[in-house]
Amino acid sequence: MLVVLGAFGIASVLVPALTPRLGTRVFLLAAVPAVAAVVHAALAAPAVFARGVSERVPWVPALGLTLDTRLDPLSWVLALLVGGVGALVLVYCRSYFRNDEPHLGAFAGSLTAFAGSMYGLVVADDVYLLFVFWELTTVFSYLLIGHYSSRRASRGSALQALLVTTFGGLTMLAGFVLLTTAAGTSRLSELATRAPEGAVGTVGAVLIVVGILSKSAVVPLHFWLPGAMAAPTPVSAYLHAAAMVKAGIYLAARFSPAFAETPGWRESLVLLGLVTMLVGGWRALRETDLKLVLAYGTVAQLGFLTAAIGFGTRDALLGGLALLVAHALFKSTLFLVVGIVDHDTGTRDLRKLSGLGRAAPALAVVAALAAASMAGLPPFAGFVGKETVLAAMVHAGESGDVLGWIALAGSTAGSALTAAYAARVYWGAFARKPGVPDVGVIRESPAFLLAPAVLAVLGLAGGIAAPGLDAVLAPVADVLPAEGEVEHLALWHGIGIPLLLSAVTIGLGLGAFLLREPIARVQARLALRRSASDAYRGTLSGIDRVAARTTKVVQRGSLPYYLAVILVVFVVAVVSALVRLAPPLPEARLWDQPMQPVAAVVMSVAAIAATVAAKRFQAVVLVGVTGFGMALLFADFGAPDLALTQALVELVTLVAFVLVLRRLPARLGTKHGSSFRLGRAALGIAVGAIMSVVALVALAARTATPIAVEFPRLAVDGGHGVNVVNVTLVDIRGWDTMGELSVIIAAATGVASLVFLSSRSDRMPEFARRSGLSLLRGRSGRPSADHDDRGSWLLAGRTLAPRNRSILLEVVVRLVFPALIVLSLYLLLAGHNAPGGGFAGGLVAGLALVARYLAAGRIELAAAAPVSAGALLGSGLLFATGAAVVPLFLGVDALTSTYLDLDLGWFGSVSLVTSTIFDVGVYLVVIGLVLDVLRSLGAEVDRQEEEGDEPSLAGRLEAEEQRRWTAGAGARR
Amino acid sequence: MNLLVPLVVLLPLIGAAAALLTGRRPRLQRAVTVATLSAVLAIGVVLVVVVDASGPLVMDVGGWPAPFGIVLVVDRLAALMVSVSAAVLLAVLVFAIGQGLADNDAETPVSIYHPSYLVLAAGVMNAFVAGDLFNLYVGFEILLVASYVLLTLGGTEARIRAGTTYVVVSLLSSLLFLAAIALIYGATGTVNIAQISERVADLPPELQTLLHAFLLIAFGIKAAVFPLSFWLPDSYPTAPAPVTAVFAGLLTKVGIYAIIRTETILFPTPELNETLLVIALLTLVVGILGAIAQADIKRMLSFTLVSHIGYMVLGVGLGTAAGVAAAVFYTMHHIVVQTTLFLAAGLVERVGGTTSVSRLGGLLSASPLVGALFLIPALNLGGIPPFSGFIGKLGLLEAAAEVGTPLALVLLAAAVAVSLLTLYPLARTWNLAFWRPQQEVQEYTSALTAELQDNPYGDTTVATRSLSRLMVGATIGMVTLSVALTVLAGPLYALAERAGSDLQGTSRYISSVLGDRP
Repeated sequence: MLVVLGAFGIASVLVPALTPRLGTRVFLLAAVPAVAAVVHAALAAPAVFARGVSERVPWVPALGLTLDTRLDPLSWVLALLVGGVGALVLVYCRSYFRNDEPHLGAFAGSLTAFAGSMYGLVVADDVYLLFVFWELTTVFSYLLIGHYSSRRASRGSALQALLVTTFGGLTMLAGFVLLTTAAGTSRLSELATRAPEGAVGTVGAVLIVVGILSKSAVVPLHFWLPGAMAAPTPVSAYLHAAAMVKAGIYLAARFSPAFAETPGWRESLVLLGLVTMLVGGWRALRETDLKLVLAYGTVAQLGFLTAAIGFGTRDALLGGLALLVAHALFKSTLFLVVGIVDHDTGTRDLRKLSGLGRAAPALAVVAALAAASMAGLPPFAGFVGKETVLAAMVHAGESGDVLGWIALAGSTAGSALTAAYAARVYWGAFARKPGVPDVGVIRESPAFLLAPAVLAVLGLAGGIAAPGLDAVLAPVADVLPAEGEVEHLALWHGIGIPLLLSAVTIGLGLGAFLLREPIARVQARLALRRSASDAYRGTLSGIDRVAARTTKVVQRGSLPYYLAVILVVFVVAVVSALVRLAPPLPEARLWDQPMQPVAAVVMSVAAIAATVAAKRFQAVVLVGVTGFGMALLFADFGAPDLALTQALVELVTLVAFVLVLRRLPARLGTKHGSSFRLGRAALGIAVGAIMSVVALVALAARTATPIAVEFPRLAVDGGHGVNVVNVTLVDIRGWDTMGELSVIIAAATGVASLVFLSSRSDRMPEFARRSGLSLLRGRSGRPSADHDDRGSWLLAGRTLAPRNRSILLEVVVRLVFPALIVLSLYLLLAGHNAPGGGFAGGLVAGLALVARYLAAGRIELAAAAPVSAGALLGSGLLFATGAAVVPLFLGVDALTSTYLDLDLGWFGSVSLVTSTIFDVGVYLVVIGLVLDVLRSLGAEVDRQEEEGDEPSLAGRLEAEEQRRWTAGAGARR
Repeated sequence: MNLLVPLVVLLPLIGAAAALLTGRRPRLQRAVTVATLSAVLAIGVVLVVVVDASGPLVMDVGGWPAPFGIVLVVDRLAALMVSVSAAVLLAVLVFAIGQGLADNDAETPVSIYHPSYLVLAAGVMNAFVAGDLFNLYVGFEILLVASYVLLTLGGTEARIRAGTTYVVVSLLSSLLFLAAIALIYGATGTVNIAQISERVADLPPELQTLLHAFLLIAFGIKAAVFPLSFWLPDSYPTAPAPVTAVFAGLLTKVGIYAIIRTETILFPTPELNETLLVIALLTLVVGILGAIAQADIKRMLSFTLVSHIGYMVLGVGLGTAAGVAAAVFYTMHHIVVQTTLFLAAGLVERVGGTTSVSRLGGLLSASPLVGALFLIPALNLGGIPPFSGFIGKLGLLEAAAEVGTPLALVLLAAAVAVSLLTLYPLARTWNLAFWRPQQEVQEYTSALTAELQDNPYGDTTVATRSLSRLMVGATIGMVTLSVALTVLAGPLYALAERAGSDLQGTSRYISSVLGDRP
């Protein structure tokens, strides 16, 4: 079986690939695996009926997902149907389609894959595997129904079929999960015989019923099937008559031993089945499109099958199975016939067809055979099945089962309708109708007619050879306990209620057919305003509306709103935990040193002032004040390194802000209403207060010794440095620092990205460098009439307007610059044992560059730092990562440092720790960052301003801000 | 073998340095980037094999013994995440190169893209291997800052706007994370994850809950769980397709990874499990409703991303080994499939000139290949069997049924319903964009599209109708990978299950970090 499945898989890939070459002949190739399935079933028959054949390959053992297949008599019957009808339909497709059909390859591939999925569905012996194939049939039916994708109705129907059957399938999956969890097995053959009892069993059964209803088009989930008639006719014949819609019936039969006694199972299947039978039959009498007549007929028949198989007695099951086989044969025949009619005459409207019986006699004979079987006339298979079902219902009724009588009444009425629409189909397609012109001459093609003819003859054979059918189906039905004498499938049961009822149904049916016109008038009057299909559409647009509203409410596009939501969640979560904790506020020492409250007050005041500042620059400076306050705290705690670094960072940040702010409006955005401000203030205060309380509580709860206590000892012993902060940064936690370096690099790259837009513009420094250097050397390319060598020391003379210059500043900066660089190098190298370090050193060097730029502009900057920022950043990162990688090659952990004592003769000895190399990386990256900020926010913005270039970053930021405020104001209104 | 552990971070960083230094030679730069990520992928696969066979690999960086120094830990979970992420990063890189070549660098400036992308990769990897809470924070910072750069590539107004939302929200989440670390250090005196796990048990239970919730909020923003998720659909879809693809695939999953670590090692007590389940429920439902309301494919996918985060939170919130295993498998699946779909959306944008289904049509005729490349991952995301999305969901459903509490059963129902509701917008996209003929698009009215909202921040692009081979190749590679997750689901799920059971009980993790080891 797995081999057959594999063959289907391979064929469905090959078929689309070969379609361009083979055209419609590709369908013959596609039929090969279907034939193989039939042959395999035939060969396996003895073993199947003796004990069943199984194959098993694990797939996801952890979830109980197994490729577990099994042919028992029930699967065998269905496999034969699926394979046989599938092969015939594929052969039929060869004549139905033309080579120039759009998307033919995809269609053929999907149909093959569908056949394979259907085969897998009936042989699967694992509920999850069954679900896999169940959903695959859904997906392929979606693709097949939507084949005529340029037709809107096709697309809509495909979506409808997909959603409805997936809804049912997923519901069923939930049932499977509950049942397998309770039963401890996912094997279908085990679950189907001993399903869990109690609430789980009932809920599971109900969920599976939903799956059955959706797949087999039973009321109230039946409406997708008539819609699915938008598919090409072979698809309707196969999917919607013989195969897919039988999946639900199959499942009902499969689970009937387990659930026959479960409350709800039998009642729901029988009653809904009967309603479906009546609704479908009634609608079938109204339709004028032959395909829709058949479609509603199928709905009706599926209802009958559901009722029969769900009835839960052995005899009803036997009859139901016979009916299932009969229905597969006659309904696919009729669909295929309608396909030929449509193909040959160009219409399926029974009001327009006339005289076709005479024009295509062979077709008419085939159709007559199938219609007779559908109507339940002897000696066809349809008759045999119906008789047995009715007999079983009578039997049940006689033994005191009320449902038996109800079912009998419903089935009889339904069968009468069936006979009526069977007559209507035949009459509609083939009869001569007064006032309608006859169809023209039709050349009947034997190849085209082959598939329906074979199927129709099989339907006749099944009736005549009823005992043979019985021999096959009785073992299937025997899974249910027999009560008293068992029924057998036979043409002649003797005269009894069933035969009488059969006669009545046929008589009533013919009567209804003859009275079709008055009935049509009644139907027109009774036509329902709303159908189940409307309910589907209503549900869908309801979901759409709910989705749209919900999304509009939560997804406002307003950043302040998003932040507020996050903070409110924070407040609620933490406060609810705090309330439960109800901590006694610990005895807190307010401060250790007098400097601390001073810094705290300064920082708090600055922070609050920053939130209400009206001007950008004001806000930036105030934020800077909090940073300097932090530096004060660091210094007070005995961390001069950190204090130094923090102060330098604040300076650089201030410069960066100023560079940006010169292109932004001075004032911050428009004012908000006071309630808005109050709300925000309340939230902010709440967050801050909570943070303080939580900090107190958390610190007071500490019992263990913090690891930091060990750091000073570790720094000296392991890191060979007395500057604990520096050793921590470059050694103990050097990995963090390396990470932060990459953060700096990314940030620098990001700034450049925003300003230079499309390239990192290493052209810019190159240009600047060339002109800068040439200016420096007094060898400008330009004629140098006004050129004097003395002026070349100060570049700004050529590049800045005189009013922007300050010669004094330029000179001072020029003089101080080398000293600053030396200082930065000193900080870098001394850092291991004294305050300093790569970060502080890099910042000092960076500030030196800032000074050069501020004093004399962008050309001066280029001359001061004749390298690209990218190169600095890259090589800095290389130093740092190199310090991490090299030790790996020496067989120790990454970033492990080594201590070297170099004896330099007269110069004395130098102790060198390899982590200094890492610090050099830090140093370079920091300079690179500052340079990048100056180049992009400074020099490039200058250039854009001078040259009136494209809208700059600042311009875009401004536009964005403007938009944001107006949007915000709009949202509030 | 443990020297491989730091290499997954160091290699991308060295690559980034090299990319910066080779900025003027694009071909060399591309080669460096591709080689780096290929190497990381190879290391990731080796790590999976080694760790699965012989237990977690641990490295004390700088030779400083834990808990004083920083420790890097690769257990099964981390190894799986490293390999899947590396594969995705590589595929997206190839796609981006293809798009960059075709666009003549107008949209994705190569010299910015490559170093930033590698830094992002380093951050993601660092987050996975971090055995130190503060280093985890550093990992987050690395990837976030790099993501700021990538999100605002090209600096159009829409991207700056999206970037503002993204950056500010991310900063807030980082702030909360940092505060949480400070508090945890305050209470336990350590930042080593294993040692926190040991010491946290001595704290008063309510304080544990408080710190736990604090940390979950920080991670919840990054993972985009409701109601901390609103920023995501407003920021992701505006970036260039490959950037969105990698963000959607990876970044939220780093948040999920951190949540898994929080729930299994830092705070393994079950007191917030029910809360997590409720959050999962809301995330699933509200997220998918958002997806249903969208006309823009990229925005719709962003909402499905949020919604499906709920599946992972569900697995974690169940608190059982089976639940965590399902969450781990679902995370791997989702990384791959979500990335693939965004790449496919990139191809759609190429062919159709837009990603809005209200303007797209006739794509199946225009490019059947793009159709197949969209359909397969779409079905996968919709949980259609036999794809990995179904397998992951089945694992979650089984785990939920096993727990069997009323809340777990409600989530089971919701998980099934959301599966259907995911299929709906995806199938609708197929109907409208792929099946509907182009000439019908004008003046098309339908109940199906009546409530759809277009992306308010969308950029318009021009249909080039030409697909670069690299873009298509990378997408095919990702689709193949997603199918491989199905075919190899047996061993992979078994691995996920072992990863899940590793995480039951903290003693294994603690002893491998703090205990004796060679």
